[in-house]
Amino acid sequence: MSLFAYTLVAFILVAAVATALFRDVLSVIIVFGAYSLGMAILYTFLLAPDVAMTEAAIGAGVTTLLLLLTIARTTRPSTDRLTERIHVPAVVVVGAFVLVLCTAVLPEMYAVGGTETPVWSNPEVTQHYITETYNQTGVENAVTSVLAAYRGFDTFGEAVVVFAAGVSTLLVLKREVFA
Amino acid sequence: MSGSIDDTYTESQVIMTTVKIIAPFTLTYGLFMTFHGGDAPGGGFQGGTIVGVTVLMLAFAFGIEPTRQWLRNSFLAGLVTGGVVIFGAIGLAMVAIGGDFLEFTMLKEVFHIKPKWGLEAVEIAGISLIVSGTIISLFFTMAAGFSPDRPSGTGGVSGVDATDTPDSPNAEVSDDD
Repeated sequence: MSLFAYTLVAFILVAAVATALFRDVLSVIIVFGAYSLGMAILYTFLLAPDVAMTEAAIGAGVTTLLLLLTIARTTRPSTDRLTERIHVPAVVVVGAFVLVLCTAVLPEMYAVGGTETPVWSNPEVTQHYITETYNQTGVENAVTSVLAAYRGFDTFGEAVVVFAAGVSTLLVLKREVFA
Repeated sequence: MSGSIDDTYTESQVIMTTVKIIAPFTLTYGLFMTFHGGDAPGGGFQGGTIVGVTVLMLAFAFGIEPTRQWLRNSFLAGLVTGGVVIFGAIGLAMVAIGGDFLEFTMLKEVFHIKPKWGLEAVEIAGISLIVSGTIISLFFTMAAGFSPDRPSGTGGVSGVDATDTPDSPNAEVSDDD
């Protein structure tokens, strides 16, 4: 992890905290978009360009637009204060809980990119997809081959879930046309 | 009703010019990502999203109501349901030629072509259609909003809406020029 990556992580943390703390809804949506963009760049750093593209398109793009549309269609309470009022006992309890979890869990986690991680130390499974993808499916992108060929049935279910999301929005809004 | 759909729209030269310049590029990028999902990062989900976002950008720049008139409801419903049907049909076609559901290796054994083409067909004709159609429809549905007084079962079009819609988009388009 380079200095740039650490700066990026710091930026993402600041954006996440700002998303939770800002009182104005429009500001929240804007910093949330910045958070998603930071996550997208971080995924590129972690060598996951497919996930990065999804995060940039869905997280930073579509979600921001839909949330903006929602506050345009509803009321946006005006406020003088910049941040939400912080409830100190709740922060202390949740903070202590997260701290305990971190001290218990983080030392057990593998280093990023280490060769002892389960992904690498289980070569029968991982290496199979990396070495056999082109022979078996004819595509060079292993992510796509797992998505559409090896786990095609899962993806069919996912696609139907996306379809169901569209239909259920119509149901919730009591409409029968996309208008 | 249709007047209230666009009450948040303000015409901005900056946004319209920016969208006019970037929209062809995002559309091309989205299609590129969809069609090259096999050999480059990306695929139907990402490409379909970017194609859908291009329409969302146009709607933000030129008003939601004219964009909605341009993309008919039947077209959007066809995109979403057609994608699901095509995905399922491709899967069942593999059953028809003697394999399991979505077993693309059958393409190699029966037609002597790469399994890649079955995979690309699912990505391009299935996933990307569903995703782009759903994103555009979610946007339009949320833009229309909730009207509790409208009874369900009227096709989403009340009497007021049906008489109003032909007038307002024309007014919107003439403003634009």
